[in-house]
Amino acid sequence: MVATTESSSAGRRRLRLPRQLLIGLATVVVMLAIWYMLTTSLGVIDPNRFPSPGQFFAALEQMMTTGYAGGNLIDHLLRSLVLVVSGFLVAVAVGVPLGFVMGYDKRAEAFFNPIFLLLRPIPPLAWIPLAIVWLGITDASKMLVIFVSAFVPSVINTFTGVRNVNRTLVEAAQVHGATRGRLIREVYVPDALPLIFTGLRLSLQAAWTTLVAAELVGAFLGLGRVLSTAYRDINTAMILLAMVVIAIAGALTTQALGIVERRLIKWRTGP
Amino acid sequence: MSDIHFEGVTKVFSRGGRPFTAIDGIDFHVADKQFISVVGPSGCGKTTLMRMVAGLDHPTAGSVAVAGREVTGPGPERAVVFQQFALFPWKTVYDNITFGMRSKGASRAERDEAVAYYLKLMKMEGTEDSYPHQLSGGMQQRVAIARSYAIDPGVLLMDEPFGALDAQTRTIMQEELVRLARVNPRTVLFITHSVEEAVYLADRVIVMGRNPGRIREVIDVAQTRDAEAWADHPIDDVMEMPSFTHLRGQVWRLLREEMGSDR
Ligand SMILES: Nc1ncnc2c1ncn2[C@@H]1O[C@H](COP(=O)(O)OP(=O)(O)OP(=O)(O)O)[C@@H](O)[C@H]1O
Ligand SMILES: [Mg+2]
Repeated sequence: MVATTESSSAGRRRLRLPRQLLIGLATVVVMLAIWYMLTTSLGVIDPNRFPSPGQFFAALEQMMTTGYAGGNLIDHLLRSLVLVVSGFLVAVAVGVPLGFVMGYDKRAEAFFNPIFLLLRPIPPLAWIPLAIVWLGITDASKMLVIFVSAFVPSVINTFTGVRNVNRTLVEAAQVHGATRGRLIREVYVPDALPLIFTGLRLSLQAAWTTLVAAELVGAFLGLGRVLSTAYRDINTAMILLAMVVIAIAGALTTQALGIVERRLIKWRTGP
Repeated sequence: MSDIHFEGVTKVFSRGGRPFTAIDGIDFHVADKQFISVVGPSGCGKTTLMRMVAGLDHPTAGSVAVAGREVTGPGPERAVVFQQFALFPWKTVYDNITFGMRSKGASRAERDEAVAYYLKLMKMEGTEDSYPHQLSGGMQQRVAIARSYAIDPGVLLMDEPFGALDAQTRTIMQEELVRLARVNPRTVLFITHSVEEAVYLADRVIVMGRNPGRIREVIDVAQTRDAEAWADHPIDDVMEMPSFTHLRGQVWRLLREEMGSDR
């Protein structure tokens, strides 16, 4: 009985997927067609302002072969990816435990919250000058800025998740003899997990946003470097290409996070 | 030996900055392995009384002692079945039932055996790997009861455990509880809004009054029940026996007086 419920809902989801995919594909095709018409066949848009599909794919080809702005697509993408992922991971590794302790223990909250309230309103990008003064135009300074931006959402959401833990479940664990260790591992963590992942998603988005800004300031490789070089060359095709790559890379990393989340939170009712 | 001793138990809450007496000087003794039903108007302090036995709340004055030792905090010898089930959504039926057993260091084999035993008893075979959200309300409630029974607590505390069930499931659960209690008797504090349920299940029924919360009267059921051999009849028949309806009427009248007392 239980098994049927599960498989039928999964079946429904599987049925719905192709139609969603079709609609998505149709949207892309229509957009491409409009794009082609406006820039190429009708010529309404000046290619110096917005590239045609032909220019775009030429830029992609150049990027894949000879390269642009000091490297090819893989070089730029890899460098940016390493920065985003490492900045994100460090932020999470520090932010989630900190948020957890603050949510669990009122004294820890009293201690950390003033610092946090003071630092929080500062836009992450405002850290760039200081980061450069401290660490120069290096990967370390970019990582620092990414870390600062990704740190905040992890802390806040973990804190909220732990602070609003289901009290009845905590009591249920206590009256069935749970030690403090089990209480944390088997009640607090799983109960806060959905919100922790919300924090991680926001942190990841913040990391990508900050990366581009940090790389715009100065970098030898990376997608931000491609953007700033293409801007100086007034190469709109390259600008668009970098933007598309950032969008896809951002979406893929978010997807990867989603897969981890579904693995860990398999008890959830909804999809 | 797990008896419960209430001695001058008083609980004062602060409500909107003002003190509010939820329980006022309760003295009562529950003998070992006795099944006590608690009824009373809403807000008379039934849950508060139970939480003090569980160690989740503490008396403002007086003391609660279980097996001769004063209650200072929650512990597995006083398991609670909560009104809202309170199953762990991220744990399977197996892991929910054995949650408390693991606290007591039960081996894998012991846990397997207990899960098989309770699922068979509750007619829920084959659900051990399901998550709570995949179960009906009645099934979830049975798992919650099994979770508490499985640690073999000296005292079992149940707060309106059948409140969320439909009439049919409720009847089945009541019979199941009686069966469980017969197989494995223990000290039980059972809170309910249903007078039938209270009389059917209990050795003694406590009728509470409110403003402030106190014990209005204690009615003995065990004697009549054993004399009339209720246990040999299905629940529907018992509820039509004169011995049952007499006791039910007695509890009802007291309850109605208490409910009307300050309206
Ligand atoms: N934490 C609390 N703070 C303040 N007042 C409380 C608190 N807990 C309970 N009370 C008050 O104590 C009184 C008794 O509450 P309790 O929950 O024990 O009632 P009850 O008999 O279980 O009612 P019901 O049948 O509706 O569940 C109520 O008036 C309630 O408002
Ligand atoms: Mg209550």
